[in-house]
Amino acid sequence: MLRYVVRRLLQMIPLLLGVTILSFLVIQLSPGDFLSEIRLNPVVSQQTVDQMRADFGLDQPLYIQYLKWVRNIVRGDFGYSFAFQVPVLFLIRSRLFNTLLLNLVALTFAWMIALPVGITAATRQYTAIDNATSLTAYIGISTPTFFSALLFLYFAFKTRLLPIGGMTSLDYDDFTWLGKVLDVAHHLVIPVVVVGFLSIAGLMRQVRGNLLEVLRQDYVKTARSKGLAERVVLRKHALRNAINPLITIFGFELGGLLGGSAILENVIGWPGLGQLILRSVLAKDLYVVMGSLLIAAVTLVLGNLAADVLLALTDPRIRYD
Amino acid sequence: MRSWAALLTVGALLVAVFAPGAVGQGTPLKLPDIPNPKVAANAPEIGKSGGTYVVGSFGDPRTFNPIVAQETSSTDVLNPIFDGLVEQNYLTGEIEPALAESWEVSKDGKSWTFTLRQGVSWSDGSPLTIDDVVFTFQAIFTEGVQSSSKDSLTFEGKPVRWKKLDDRRIQFTTEKPVGTFLRLIGAGIIPKSKLADALAKGGAEFNKSWGVNTAPKDIVGTGPFVMQSYLPGQRVVFLKNTRYWKVDKKGTRLPYLLRYVRLITPNQEQVRLKFLAGETDVYSARPREFAEFKQGEKAGNYTIYDGPETFSSEFLVFNQNPAGISAPKLTWFQDVRFRRAISYAIDRNTIAQQVYAGRATPAWGPVSIGNKLYAKPNLPTSPYDLNRAQSMLAEAGYRKGADGFLHDAAGNIIEFTLSTNSGNLDRESIGNILRQDFTKLGIKVTYAPEEFNTMVGKLTGTFKWDAIIIGLTGGIEPVTGRNVWLSSGSLHMWYPKQDKPVTDWETEIDKLFDQATAEVDSKKRAQFYFRWQDIVAQQVPLLYFSYPKTQPAVRNTLGNIKIGLQGAIGTIDTLYYKTAYK
Repeated sequence: MLRYVVRRLLQMIPLLLGVTILSFLVIQLSPGDFLSEIRLNPVVSQQTVDQMRADFGLDQPLYIQYLKWVRNIVRGDFGYSFAFQVPVLFLIRSRLFNTLLLNLVALTFAWMIALPVGITAATRQYTAIDNATSLTAYIGISTPTFFSALLFLYFAFKTRLLPIGGMTSLDYDDFTWLGKVLDVAHHLVIPVVVVGFLSIAGLMRQVRGNLLEVLRQDYVKTARSKGLAERVVLRKHALRNAINPLITIFGFELGGLLGGSAILENVIGWPGLGQLILRSVLAKDLYVVMGSLLIAAVTLVLGNLAADVLLALTDPRIRYD
Repeated sequence: MRSWAALLTVGALLVAVFAPGAVGQGTPLKLPDIPNPKVAANAPEIGKSGGTYVVGSFGDPRTFNPIVAQETSSTDVLNPIFDGLVEQNYLTGEIEPALAESWEVSKDGKSWTFTLRQGVSWSDGSPLTIDDVVFTFQAIFTEGVQSSSKDSLTFEGKPVRWKKLDDRRIQFTTEKPVGTFLRLIGAGIIPKSKLADALAKGGAEFNKSWGVNTAPKDIVGTGPFVMQSYLPGQRVVFLKNTRYWKVDKKGTRLPYLLRYVRLITPNQEQVRLKFLAGETDVYSARPREFAEFKQGEKAGNYTIYDGPETFSSEFLVFNQNPAGISAPKLTWFQDVRFRRAISYAIDRNTIAQQVYAGRATPAWGPVSIGNKLYAKPNLPTSPYDLNRAQSMLAEAGYRKGADGFLHDAAGNIIEFTLSTNSGNLDRESIGNILRQDFTKLGIKVTYAPEEFNTMVGKLTGTFKWDAIIIGLTGGIEPVTGRNVWLSSGSLHMWYPKQDKPVTDWETEIDKLFDQATAEVDSKKRAQFYFRWQDIVAQQVPLLYFSYPKTQPAVRNTLGNIKIGLQGAIGTIDTLYYKTAYK
């Protein structure tokens, strides 16, 4: 097992190189660069723009820029943002927690609802409950996140029950510890429901499908004919086998904790990593984008690795060496 | 005897009646630490202390260093914290004393001496000295520092020079007289004690100093507010600066407001929703929103004002650069008769109606009507008239053929690509209107909006484009746009960076801009600007559409609201809350 993990970690290196080279090329080769906007400013002279270009290293050949970046990354230096003139790590760190919070709460929320609902739908197949949840699931899967986000924002505006975007209220600093938690929770309602809705929909269908397949197996019939209660059959035999694909999905979702919510954050106004990435891509703030993509890629790979290891731990049939 | 007594009594009475008034009017207002504070004479009312003022804004600030800040998301955060030697009156556009209480210009117009206001201190308590002013300009001109002020203070390649005369006066000298100097010298003054170390390490290090990773209490300025906190992606909170150097007409130290909050919102829609939901106090409504907001005034407890036009401009430009296009297109675009005829085919009224819901004034020249100082009235107009356009084209040799298309004298069909930056809905609408009208004239127009960066690359790099719809921001003083109007300028849209001006009128414009730059008297300067606007209206290198109006919406609980240039509602140091504190 240990050898397997080490092997996977080593495989991460060429993968990351590939991801970063591709990202670098795509950003650099698309038209314009960070200075495009400044060029259209009537007050700024050509010399100033050229000077900035040299300062940012944008006048050097692409491969030199890339190699310099890699050398710095290995030393832990993610470089400086062109737009903010502060270390990229500072920018990422200032927003990391917010995105993590959002996605973790959404993950928990989604799984806590999807599992019981999916199990219920499977055990009561083709009943009214099953059909109703399936319909809701289809709606959830088909609705784009930005659209549901906008709908919720409008609802928040009309009813004044929920805040319109943001993470904390103006008087946040004056609240007690409990008040602060409640304030953030209040602001989390819309984003978590929007993100969660999509997750729940897909997840629930997965749970239902896997469980149905397992319930048709012979060993389940045997267990039932042995006289075991349905609940015990479900818990001790069926669920354990239906869980496998879900663990893989869980690993994926762990991997997407840092990258997945860019559009939502921009529509809702959640101060997270996704907002930073999108703004930086639009402004072509090279090193912020590269740094964020690198972190997202590493998280994704580690998440998958965690999923595979978990799988090996729960399923005795799976062996890696 | 009686007459003496009478005289004495009358005299005593007179003294008793008038003396207190005389003392009251004669004594200048002063503060314990500042002998000559500036009086906010423009504010209509005397206000009350207290309250939190909340506005919505786009984008996070990119830096807290006023020397390096370029974009509005940063300058909007830094403007309440820093002051310059002079400031602009938001109602009239004239320059007024700020940190400098007075100035003198030499007879030859080449030397400007500023006297610093006494007693002003930084928000951390240390005194403002002339050394801070010297340091500020040293920083601007240090090699490697990315300052936008550097370009405006460099004249024909030579930077302005300065000299500290004594501990209250500094003198700036230029090679040739610069009449508009006061408009260029307003850069925010920074504290030497806090930033000297960073500057000593060089330009690149200085660019990074006072970045957004700096603790707010380290950002020290002289302005009405100090930064209390910054939550990335959420908000910037300011608290009143209790050492501020301005007073109201009664002598009370300003600002009135206790707290000022800028909420960072991701898009325009949310800014609007937050205002309607009561979370913010001001909203710069877009022209199309005016009618709807007007209806909601009572329910929302706000007033929406009919503001003046902005200084920004939007126009159509044809490429006249031989490096980018060639005959026959080059010949058509270089033909002033062609351009003038096209101007008659631009339906400015429809543009004002459809794009701006009627809240825009048709534009005939480069200076917005909203610029009360320098806009020339009664410029020649070219009202929409397709028949007139067609006959003007015919006179110039461009006639409609049997195929229904316009042909030039050599028989080529007049066709070109019209572009603008996709995503800008207003410009895209304008593009559609133009395309339809040009097609009626018989011109084959390919309308192709493209991505902003691609368009910039063409305008400033390859020069391979035909016709573009684009806009520029503008300041009150047209010479600050010299990169656009000088023939050698890099933003001289239709033919940038000329070695020598290729036409007589461009030669004349170059000369007018030099003369305007040198002229100290603003009325004489206005004459040069008027002549320039005449030339532009005749030669139409840029065909202007309209000047959109502003429509600021303000919560009724705010006081000292008076709408000024470009729709500004008031100054942050005189706004106050009429009702209970928030």
